[in-house]
Amino acid sequence: MLCDNCKRNEATIIIKEIHNGKAESINLCAECARLKEQQGELGSFGFNLAEVLFDLGKLTKALKPDAKTPEVEVPHEVAQAVCPHCGWSAEDLRKHEGQLGCPECYRTFAPLVEGAVARIQRGLVHLGKRPAGGGPDGAVAMRLELERLQRELNDLIKREEYEAAAVDRDRIAALKRELEAAEAAEKERK
Amino acid sequence: MTARVEELFRNPSGILGEGNTGDDIAISSRIRLARNPAQRMFPVRESEAGRREFCEEVAAAAPEFGVLGGSEALVFDTEQMEKLDREVLLERYLASREFISHPQGTLLLVRPDELCSLMVNEGDALRIQSLRPGFQLDEAWKEASALDDELGHAFEYAFDEKLGFLTASPTDVGTGMRASVMLHLPGLVLTGQIASAVAAVNKLNIAVRGLFGEGSDNLGNMYQVSNQSTLGESEKQIIDRLGAVVSQFMERELNTRKVLMERDQHSMLDVIGRSYGVLRHSHRLSSEEALKCLSGVRLGVDMRLFKSLDIARVNRMFLAIAPAHLQKRAGRELDSADRDVCRAAFCREQLNPDAV
Repeated sequence: MLCDNCKRNEATIIIKEIHNGKAESINLCAECARLKEQQGELGSFGFNLAEVLFDLGKLTKALKPDAKTPEVEVPHEVAQAVCPHCGWSAEDLRKHEGQLGCPECYRTFAPLVEGAVARIQRGLVHLGKRPAGGGPDGAVAMRLELERLQRELNDLIKREEYEAAAVDRDRIAALKRELEAAEAAEKERK
Repeated sequence: MTARVEELFRNPSGILGEGNTGDDIAISSRIRLARNPAQRMFPVRESEAGRREFCEEVAAAAPEFGVLGGSEALVFDTEQMEKLDREVLLERYLASREFISHPQGTLLLVRPDELCSLMVNEGDALRIQSLRPGFQLDEAWKEASALDDELGHAFEYAFDEKLGFLTASPTDVGTGMRASVMLHLPGLVLTGQIASAVAAVNKLNIAVRGLFGEGSDNLGNMYQVSNQSTLGESEKQIIDRLGAVVSQFMERELNTRKVLMERDQHSMLDVIGRSYGVLRHSHRLSSEEALKCLSGVRLGVDMRLFKSLDIARVNRMFLAIAPAHLQKRAGRELDSADRDVCRAAFCREQLNPDAV
């Protein structure tokens, strides 16, 4: 059976989805499945956070059935890292479903955390409230995120990916409104 | 000294009241916030002694937390409680399964109306919860945020300029907020639309879970819709996005019910009538069957088919038929077979025309 996407390679992965009550399945080769997963087109399957952290999703396992030691995916220095504050190790992280040991662990395991955050969260920067008495909610982060989204939007337009661009455009508009409101509220307080 | 769960039985829980939308498809709304003090390790890494120490700090500061009712707050020393009493907390949505399964070094603070509570040393050191009947995410958020401010004055939070509130799991980092609405969707289930609706919503980083049972074997047609992403959007954006999805679910459910009544009235009335009949007349009632039938009766109440049965009574029954509540009511431990008998007796009594 050939891959439905590229129609070149042998399909090794079958994905079943239900649309309007009708089951549909698509057959993909390893290459296309990996690509689609990276682009987030495989929907939100239930995942184990530890697997996401270590980039060892079920799919990865299916793609590399002969990989005996999955740890190869993790950069050596991160796999060996131990948090200087709480002594948590990468192994502890794996055993506890991706839970960190202390706030400092976010620095210790930064490469792992960043990878996981990029995959499971909608953005990379906190735009919400701050601790009580900690200044205006997220104004600094909002500006950072606006800049990032603007860059992403320009890229998408260049690549003629207009659907994705429209999503970014709407988020930029919403964010701008919120930033204005936050700045107005801040002025009022002063 | 721990509060006793019996204190919760004095007044009906605040979320059992009627919703605010008039159609009762949205049963309740919840906001949960995860917070951790900057100077401590996360509960998973903290020693039992360390966790207890933090519980004592929270208990000592409790009278300052006005949002939790100040000195009126019920303080449950979960570790000292009987297993059955902890199950009661779970069934009343005051504690998570995870929390009651690992009670060592934990504490639970509950406002007497049960709409606001605080779990200490669940996955994160502090888990704030605000509940509301119906579809009221904004109100729940306002209250959770107010308690968050009070706690933020008492404890310096672990907070990062870029990543926001630091949580034990990166799945909660940022806002640390999980917003959810519980929906009753018998129309979508009856017509087989639920799977496609859930699949469509999952693509928007919104999770839909059956409340009882797993996956398609969902009992009682109850679904919890919640945000999956906690970073990259403000709390308001998350709540608005979730709210839009919830509104769509409610609209689709209402339309489906209308269409069902127009095209296949007898099947619809049959489901409701049989549900009522089973609850009214059976002498052995399993949890599964009771949930299924209560869903049918609830649908009938929504459609104004009963003269005097109201949604508040149905809501109370949903809670009262849960295993731990049945046993507290009976005043003794019951095995599964005894529970089925007690459950049936309770439902008969509740639906007795003289009682309704």
